[in-house]
Amino acid sequence: MQIASRRPWWLLFAGPYGLYLVILLVIPIAQIAAFSVLTYSPTRIVARELTAGNYTRLLDPYFVQLFLRTMRLALITTVICAVLGYPVAYVLARARPSVMAVGLFLLVVPLMVSTVIRTFGWTVILGRNGLVNQTLLLLGLDPIRIMYTETAVIIGLVNVFIPFMVLPLMAAIERIPPSLEEAATNLGASWVQMFARVILPMSYPGLVSGALLVYTVSLSAFVTPVLMGGARVRVVGSQIFDEVLVSFNWPGASSLALVVIAVTLILVFLALRLTRNVARGEKPS
Amino acid sequence: MSVRRPVVLPVAVVLVYTGLLAPLLVVIGVSFNAGGGFDFPPRGLSLRWYSTFFASTPFVTAFFRVSLVVGVLTAIGATMLGALAAIGVVRFRFPGREALEAFFLTPLLVPHILLGAALYLYFVRLGMKPSLLTMTLSHLVISTPYVIRSVTAGLVGIDPRLEEAAMSLGASRAQAFFKVTLPLLRSSLMSGAIFAFIISFSDINLSLFLSGPGTTTLPMHIFSEIQWGGDPTIAAASALQIVIVGLLILLVQRVFRLRLMI
Amino acid sequence: MPGVELAVTGLVKRYSSHVSVGPISFEVMEGEFFSLLGPSGCGKTTTLRCIAGFEATSEGAITLNGKRLDHMPPNRRDVGLVFQNYALFPHLTVFDNVSFGLRLRRLAKREIEERVARILEVVGLPHLASRYPTQLSGGQQQRVAIARSVVLEPRLLLFDEPLSNLDFKLRLQMRSELRELQRRLGKTSIYVTHDQTEALALSDRIAVLSQGRIEQIGRPVDIYEAPETAFVADFIGNSNMMEVSVEAKTRSGTVMRAKSGLQLTGPVISEGVGSSLRVLVRPEHIRLRATREDDTPNCMTAEIVDFTYLGEDVHLRVAIAGGGELLVALKSGRATRNLECGRSIELAIDPSDVHVLRK
Repeated sequence: MQIASRRPWWLLFAGPYGLYLVILLVIPIAQIAAFSVLTYSPTRIVARELTAGNYTRLLDPYFVQLFLRTMRLALITTVICAVLGYPVAYVLARARPSVMAVGLFLLVVPLMVSTVIRTFGWTVILGRNGLVNQTLLLLGLDPIRIMYTETAVIIGLVNVFIPFMVLPLMAAIERIPPSLEEAATNLGASWVQMFARVILPMSYPGLVSGALLVYTVSLSAFVTPVLMGGARVRVVGSQIFDEVLVSFNWPGASSLALVVIAVTLILVFLALRLTRNVARGEKPS
Repeated sequence: MSVRRPVVLPVAVVLVYTGLLAPLLVVIGVSFNAGGGFDFPPRGLSLRWYSTFFASTPFVTAFFRVSLVVGVLTAIGATMLGALAAIGVVRFRFPGREALEAFFLTPLLVPHILLGAALYLYFVRLGMKPSLLTMTLSHLVISTPYVIRSVTAGLVGIDPRLEEAAMSLGASRAQAFFKVTLPLLRSSLMSGAIFAFIISFSDINLSLFLSGPGTTTLPMHIFSEIQWGGDPTIAAASALQIVIVGLLILLVQRVFRLRLMI
Repeated sequence: MPGVELAVTGLVKRYSSHVSVGPISFEVMEGEFFSLLGPSGCGKTTTLRCIAGFEATSEGAITLNGKRLDHMPPNRRDVGLVFQNYALFPHLTVFDNVSFGLRLRRLAKREIEERVARILEVVGLPHLASRYPTQLSGGQQQRVAIARSVVLEPRLLLFDEPLSNLDFKLRLQMRSELRELQRRLGKTSIYVTHDQTEALALSDRIAVLSQGRIEQIGRPVDIYEAPETAFVADFIGNSNMMEVSVEAKTRSGTVMRAKSGLQLTGPVISEGVGSSLRVLVRPEHIRLRATREDDTPNCMTAEIVDFTYLGEDVHLRVAIAGGGELLVALKSGRATRNLECGRSIELAIDPSDVHVLRK
């Protein structure tokens, strides 16, 4: 039941949080937007001189490499999450309620545990004397050095962020009536054909959601790349951290942050456009 | 017989769940290690790292006097702010309603590390030193959208005719809301509060920037201990976090029978 | 002479230790429209899904045209299934829906277009090929669903309560269209429904199911006029069922007395005096008797206890002077115009309309 009255009662309800967001989200972001065009000064940190230097320096090979590396890692992570996540989402979506509840529980708990802790676990598993190497030695194979490589970072990112892919995919697949799967099977489709021709096209918005989520969090990830990659694998996140808290180049950090926010917003916009086009053939209520 | 599924399905499921659960099990295992290193499987079982944890002032402060406190404050604040906001957007009609609804969810679009940096610079500008207050204020930004989502879903699921029935029996609109709708929202509110707590409790990216002496959260302290080498006390602290989060999620799933929406 | 298309032998479906269906056995002849009729939970849908391959049988065999069907995976059976909610692919056009199975078989594009165009003509939707299912009415969606299965030319068509989602008028219309279509295509069809009117109107033969077992198989007229069990008698149509004992046997019939005291004369039967039987009299077989009629057997005076006017019919509940109550169904007309509660009327039942139930 919706109320439309002359007195703006809605202000009383929506007002506090709206105001809160303005004060603690909009203004801080506006501030870093402002900082991004001011000059870095070693003495005063932020000097009141307008400059485009913070942005132009991003065209330096170092930063270009940084961005490319970060985007590459995020892309690989997203693809692996999609490939592994789809089957898991399907199994969960079609599972019996009791099995689905357990599956969800085991998916959500890791998701909600701090990324520090989860990544820490991976450093132990992949470390020089970690579980993986112990197993390899037991099998008579040589130990491998994975830590502090891009591979380690990807392993970490995939395992930390895959729930972000599985959950929206699962929700999308649940909305596909099982009778459609049976109809396709009855018409002669193998499971793979059924998946490709019915499940995939119909759960496409879930894939877009999941990919968007995984990509954006991977793009701005800090803890996992730092713990798994160390100084050898620098990403945008670690660069921002350093510039804010180590070198105090706040204008520089601000420009970086804004670029990442801009990229994120563009991706969200693209994702919305993509899913709107699919809605044309969707079933009604 | 149903439809014949290819082998790749259970293989993927095993891979993914192993990847999700292995780090947690390893951490818990290491926390019981009798030896001094990060051995997994642990060499002998002992509770020594747990007693070290409780004996360590920085850990105990981080856990009890920072993370727990900020978590509870965030849960309370996010629930109040979020519930009001959700009701405002779902139950009222006014120009710009849909835009406001989208605006309320924008914190979900900003990567946490960027938000952390922005808020850090903001508080510096305002002359506010890192404190439980600044930490809570920041956590409210990232937690409240989850409460809004939860309460919105709950509100949408309540038949509006229930309130109409109450009003036809003589209740005023406000009475109908408080006596009929609000009790039905109880599980959405509780699960929203619990998620807000967990998000605050687990946060690292904001804590990276906003922690200070005496206001270091548990994840932040764990992070710095890892960077400086550390010993299995880290694992004990982590294991405690895992258990707390696990129990809370179990609570939401079993008692409130709700699912997390991200 | 049409041969056996589908044979179900000793089919049993068990869920853990609980037997849900079976053992049941039946045969469906070529070109026949065969219905599985029963209340919800009777096992008719489970049986259908076993034939389609979406449920595994616990025991028993299913053969199609002599070959074992139940060993084959559900995507390899030569069986078409029309679902209750049609299960049309919402992201595909009508053309793509209908050609779905053909495309899986990697047929030439030309042939696919021809076959789809032909089947759309047959079901009367030639101009809707590029529409999406959400743009179609319920009746049109159903025809697309049928076209989609039939275009693959399966040996057997299965229908899972396809009309239950439609409103009344549309249901009647689609019912006759369905029957005509099936006759035209000549496809052996198995139809699952809980609606007895539908089964009676559409089928060549009906299998009535209850609690996982077959109660009776027969033509509609046999099921209706000569139900073999109390369940069938009760489920199909209205009935007056009575426990009677045989009082006397004559050359022309049998005198029976019901527990309520009512005396009836039925046809000649083999059971002897003193035996207990269950008999059935259909309400529409009880007729109003003109007062000046000869003394025909089963004449009775009755008082109208309940009176319901249904337009075409008039349904009465009457209390018989000799004891007992009966349901009477009369066609509306001059004779029924003055009837009301409390009136006394004269009724008669032909002895051959007293039907003895065997089980």
